[in-house]
Amino acid sequence: MYRGREGQWAFLLHRLSGLAILAYLMLHVFSIGSFIFGERFYMAIHETYDLWPFRVGLLFVTAGVVYHAFNGLRIIVMDFTGFGVAYQRQMWYGVLLISVLAFIGAAATLYPRLVGGY
Amino acid sequence: MIRARTFTDARQQSHSNAELNWWIFMRISGLILVFLILGHIYMTFIQVSESDATFDAVVGKLANPAWKFYDWLILALSLMHGANGARYSIEDYVRSRPNRAWVKGVFYTVVALLFAFGTVGLFSI
Repeated sequence: MYRGREGQWAFLLHRLSGLAILAYLMLHVFSIGSFIFGERFYMAIHETYDLWPFRVGLLFVTAGVVYHAFNGLRIIVMDFTGFGVAYQRQMWYGVLLISVLAFIGAAATLYPRLVGGY
Repeated sequence: MIRARTFTDARQQSHSNAELNWWIFMRISGLILVFLILGHIYMTFIQVSESDATFDAVVGKLANPAWKFYDWLILALSLMHGANGARYSIEDYVRSRPNRAWVKGVFYTVVALLFAFGTVGLFSI
């Protein structure tokens, strides 16, 4: 139907970002919910998450969520309006632009904390 | 699973009411989650940092019923949205019927346990 064009990449990225967010969500629910096992158990997990690879990883989680959210809105527009399908390619480039801006914006805001610790 | 580009296509393609309802659910929950999750990320990651998410801070925040409800809404909607999205992927890529049955069984069990764990945690404070 739209093999090899933007629509296919949008679909693939939507799936991959969705599965990645789900994996993050499951870890996140467990790590935050682990406070019911007491302070020592909770803080042991969170001191590990404070290492810099995890902090940088959160930037990618943010960009992934922004992509998934705005591409989801693009899908809803395609589903329920007549012009949505006609402009799906342009909207996808808009979604990519918003995702990149969100990544750069978050990285710029968090830069001092990312490099220098908290 | 429905591979439709418009609501009319979705209605024609759906073999059951449940399938069409899940298709609608993905749109509605997605629309709500856009606000809930982007707000959550802004408030808990951009404004404050991982090292601020200490035991005391989390317990203090979740003691407020408004945050309890906000977080529980995210928990319920995002787990259902994520589980259904993963089901689409499983149905597409796990081709043999017996494999699909146990992969789904294990996956749904983990999601249900996690939902119970999160709910108990939220309302135990």
